[in-house]
Amino acid sequence: MSVLTLNNVSYKYEGTKKNVLAGISAEFEMGKVYAIVGKSGSGKSTLLSLMAGLDVCVNGEIMYNGKDLKKIDRDIYRAKGIGVIFQAFNLITNATAVENIVLSMNISGVNDKNKKSYAYALLEKVGIDCETAERKVLKLSGGEQQRVGIARALSHNPDIVIADEPTGNLDKDTEADVLGILTSLAHDDGKCVIIVTHSRKVTSIADEIWGINDGKMIPVKQQ
Amino acid sequence: MYIFQNALKNVVRNKGRNILIGIIIFAIITTTVITLGINNTANGIIDDYKTRFGSEVTITPDMQKIMKSGTSLTPRITIEQRKEFSQSKYIKEYKLTANAGISGENIKAVDEATGGGSGTTGMVGDKSEFINPTMQLIGNQFDDFQKGIREITDGKMPENDNECIVSKELAELNNLSVGDVIDVTASLFTDDIDVRNVIYTLTITGIYFDGTEEYGMFANPYLNRRNEVLTTFETITNVVQTDENGITVGSRYFLKDPDMLAAFTTELKAKGLNDIFKVTTDENSYNRVVGPVEGLRSVSITFMIIVLILGSIILILLTSIAIRERKYEIGVLRAMGMKKIKVALGLWVEMLTITAICLVIGIGIGSIIAQPVSNVLLEGQIENAQSDIEGGNVPGFVDMSSIGTSDEPISKLDISLGLHTTLQIIGISLMLATIAGLAAIIKITKYEPIKILMERN
Repeated sequence: MSVLTLNNVSYKYEGTKKNVLAGISAEFEMGKVYAIVGKSGSGKSTLLSLMAGLDVCVNGEIMYNGKDLKKIDRDIYRAKGIGVIFQAFNLITNATAVENIVLSMNISGVNDKNKKSYAYALLEKVGIDCETAERKVLKLSGGEQQRVGIARALSHNPDIVIADEPTGNLDKDTEADVLGILTSLAHDDGKCVIIVTHSRKVTSIADEIWGINDGKMIPVKQQ
Repeated sequence: MYIFQNALKNVVRNKGRNILIGIIIFAIITTTVITLGINNTANGIIDDYKTRFGSEVTITPDMQKIMKSGTSLTPRITIEQRKEFSQSKYIKEYKLTANAGISGENIKAVDEATGGGSGTTGMVGDKSEFINPTMQLIGNQFDDFQKGIREITDGKMPENDNECIVSKELAELNNLSVGDVIDVTASLFTDDIDVRNVIYTLTITGIYFDGTEEYGMFANPYLNRRNEVLTTFETITNVVQTDENGITVGSRYFLKDPDMLAAFTTELKAKGLNDIFKVTTDENSYNRVVGPVEGLRSVSITFMIIVLILGSIILILLTSIAIRERKYEIGVLRAMGMKKIKVALGLWVEMLTITAICLVIGIGIGSIIAQPVSNVLLEGQIENAQSDIEGGNVPGFVDMSSIGTSDEPISKLDISLGLHTTLQIIGISLMLATIAGLAAIIKITKYEPIKILMERN
């Protein structure tokens, strides 16, 4: 069953005439890994921000569990329905890794008395030990920050995990680890994982691949 | 709850910026503590003096009106009128006093051997019917007992008509003791100089120690204060007929509120007070005593307003800069799904926390330095007032005629922060935090997370 549906979605930036996205339609299901590929400037990140509820499309509709994102509280959608792994991490830099996770859980309204313990466990799952978890984000390496970003995206157990070039800053070993986590999320935990990427390695683990070109999205690989 | 926890952590995380904001808030709060402390203490004193000086009504002939009218005779306020004036809803307290020159029938005055009596009465007393007063019979004037200058050493104060007390010296001179009866004579007369000598038969109920100055400018039995026989107002005035002179009657009225002066004046005129009289309060003494404090209050309030305005502007600017610096953090929080109102609330709590810390330190330090600051400022105000007197360039600010009176300007304010002042300071601090918070909220409402993150990335 489709958890996220794009119906004829179009988008253009203010003050421009050309549509970055022009009538895109697609369906994303739980339990699968999706890869969205395309050249730089093709509109991949724009599509990601629309699916993440950070922006709204000009035409068409994005449906989350059958509800139009324009008509629901997108703050709640971002807090509970979706987890986003940003290419630039977008963490609270003067807070520690564990504080970032706990804060995300608090914003999402996670009702767990042992949030900190859960946060440590989550960080450990993505390869961050307790000592590193207590360090401020600014003092972590790019790879560590990316792992913290992943842990944060998973902290509130969302239905959908969207990742923007999640392995772009990582070495090969770490890349493999991260991809393993994302694959496991979809195949073991039943989440819908959508990855925007240039990486062939990433596309290799995807169940379905969509390509974006000239504002159109076409299936490259489908099950 | 997490909003508060996160805000508290942020206060520590952003130490440098918050210390800068804290310094500004601390300066504003400390200044507010000092100025409000001075202002509220000054207000209390001013209200007190206003009540003291502004409530006692004086009824005196208006010399300008008398000169214009060309008459040398001043209309009289009768004893009945004075009593009637006291029956007013505007009056909280009144005091009627009487004074008569007397000579003893069966007693001698202290210093009687030196000769002489009342100068004024003596001149009128060219006619043989007039007595030559060597003593004074005084009704209802016991202020010196309240001041502790006089003190009953034997017996008690007069309570009923025809009772009196005498000084120890007068009693010893005449071998008087409590329970003895003395006869004294006063001369009453009409405008046509029809003289009637009245004998007061008075029972001594007490003997008092007299610590007052014995004489005025001249050694004279009439002026010797040991010769004052003190009795009730009614004892003196009961025998006086409406058209008779010879008794000096005084009246003091204390208004419930100084602002009732105009209404009371109207009422007195309606009750028959001649237009030649003016009804006033002691405004000049008030200005002389309280003027410097009023000046200090004005200075402190002006200073506080300037500091509050400038401080608020600086605080808004600083907060705006701080919010701009934290734009990315706000973008991340919004991207994580935190609502704008919660982001704003968090920033407001941060500001409140900084303000609360500054409030505690500011009240502590402010209350310590308020006193020396007040002393310096008040000293300046007194010097200004003094130079104005000497230069005479501020007519009406300080009454020249009151120089040398006992009403000296207030030279020290004991600054204290009462509950009211503390609440005001807390209110102002909350206002500051809210102003700074509002600046943050206005900024935040303009931020969209996607734009912030795109700018950053």
